[in-house]
Amino acid sequence: MTAIRDWKIFKDNLMTQNPVFVQVLGICSTLAVTNVLKNTLVMCLGLIFVTTLSNLSLSLLRAWIPSRIRMMVEVLIIASLVIIVDICLKAYYPDISRQLGPYVGLIITNCIIMGRAEAVALTSPPRTALIDGISSGIGYSYVLLLIACCRELLGTGGIWGVRLLGQSWINWSIMVMAPGGFFVLAVFIWIVKGWIMRPVTGKAGA
Amino acid sequence: MNARVKDGVRTAGFMAALSIALITCIAALSLVTAERVQRNSALFLQKTVMAVAGETVPDNPAEVAEWFSTSVKSEPPDAPSLYRVYGTDKIRPRALVYKRNAQGLWGNITAVVGFDPARRAFLETRFIEHNETPGLGARISEEWFARQTAGKTGPFKLMPEGTSSPAPTEIDAITGATVTSSAVRDMLNKLLLEIKETRP
Repeated sequence: MTAIRDWKIFKDNLMTQNPVFVQVLGICSTLAVTNVLKNTLVMCLGLIFVTTLSNLSLSLLRAWIPSRIRMMVEVLIIASLVIIVDICLKAYYPDISRQLGPYVGLIITNCIIMGRAEAVALTSPPRTALIDGISSGIGYSYVLLLIACCRELLGTGGIWGVRLLGQSWINWSIMVMAPGGFFVLAVFIWIVKGWIMRPVTGKAGA
Repeated sequence: MNARVKDGVRTAGFMAALSIALITCIAALSLVTAERVQRNSALFLQKTVMAVAGETVPDNPAEVAEWFSTSVKSEPPDAPSLYRVYGTDKIRPRALVYKRNAQGLWGNITAVVGFDPARRAFLETRFIEHNETPGLGARISEEWFARQTAGKTGPFKLMPEGTSSPAPTEIDAITGATVTSSAVRDMLNKLLLEIKETRP
C-alpha cells in the first residue's frame, strides 16, 4: 500500500504535478541556466540534492520545530545545504562554479524547495518527504535538461560541445540568450499541456 | 506569562542549537576544502595571465604551472600585481600583465590587464572576480568585452554597445551597466597613467 502511494507521489511530481510546467515554479533558473547543457546538469544535481535533503531533514525535525519560526528554520536548512553545494563546486568543479556564478546561491530562493518544505516535509513522515523531494527534483531536472538540449543544439549546432548539425547550420544565437529560454519553455509547456496532458485533464473535468 | 517565556526560550534555544550545528558542519567542510579552493583560484589566475599574454592555454594544470614558473616573473613576489611574461630570449618581457581592482556596482572587480611594451598598446583585459548583476554588469566576463582592448593604446572613452569602433581610444560600454563600464574604463585609464609614469 505504501509502495503504491509512494509511486503515485513520484509519478505525479514527474507529470501531473510537475514543478516547472504545471506548478510553474523555479522559472528563474529554468530560463537562466538552460543555455548550456553542462551547467544545467550541475544545477539539476544541486537542486535534487538540496530538495531531497531539505525535505528529509525538515520532516525528521518536524515534531520539534516551533510553528511560528518554521520558515526561518526552513530557510536556515536550505541555505546551509546550498552553501555545501557551492563549496563542493568551488573545490571540485571550479570552472562550472564560475560559469554558474550566482545561480548556485540562488537555489536558496528556488520556490520548489520552499514549496515542497511547506506543503509536504512539515506534514509528512520522512519516507514520504524523501520521495517527494527526489521526485520534485527529478521532475524539475528532466524539463530543464530537455530545454537545455534544445537550446544548445539550435544555438551552437551541437550538444555537450559535440557538433551535430553539420557545418552548413547557422547558429540561432537568440537560443543561447535569455529570450531563447522564454521561447523554448513556452513551446514546451504548449506541447505538454496542449497535447500530451489534454486527455488527463479531460478525464478529470468529466 | 510563564508559559510565554518558556515558549520564547524554547524557540530561541531551538534556533540557536540548529544554527550552531549547521554552522559547524559548513565551517568543517570549508576548512577541509580551503587548500583545494586556493589552489583552484591560483591556477585560474595563471591561466588568465597566460591567455592575456596571448598563449594557448593547455588543459593540463601541470603544463600551465610549468609555463608560469619558467616564463613569468611576479612582482612584488609576496602579493603580485605585475606579471612580466618573457618570450624565448628571457631578457626583455614581451608582455606585462597587471592585476588591478575597480569598484563596480556591487563590490570589487579584479581585472587582469595585458600590455605590450614594444607596441605600447594594451592586450586583452579579463576579469577574474566580480559581483556584478548577471545579464548586465556581469557581461564584462564575455569574450568580446575581454578582446576589445587588444591592440588599442588608450586613454579610453566609452561608446554605445555594438559600436565596435576600431579607434585606438574607444571601447564599447555594456548597455544597462553604466557604473560597471565606467569603473572598467577608469581602471584602464588609471593603469595607463601609471604605465606612462613608470615606463616613459
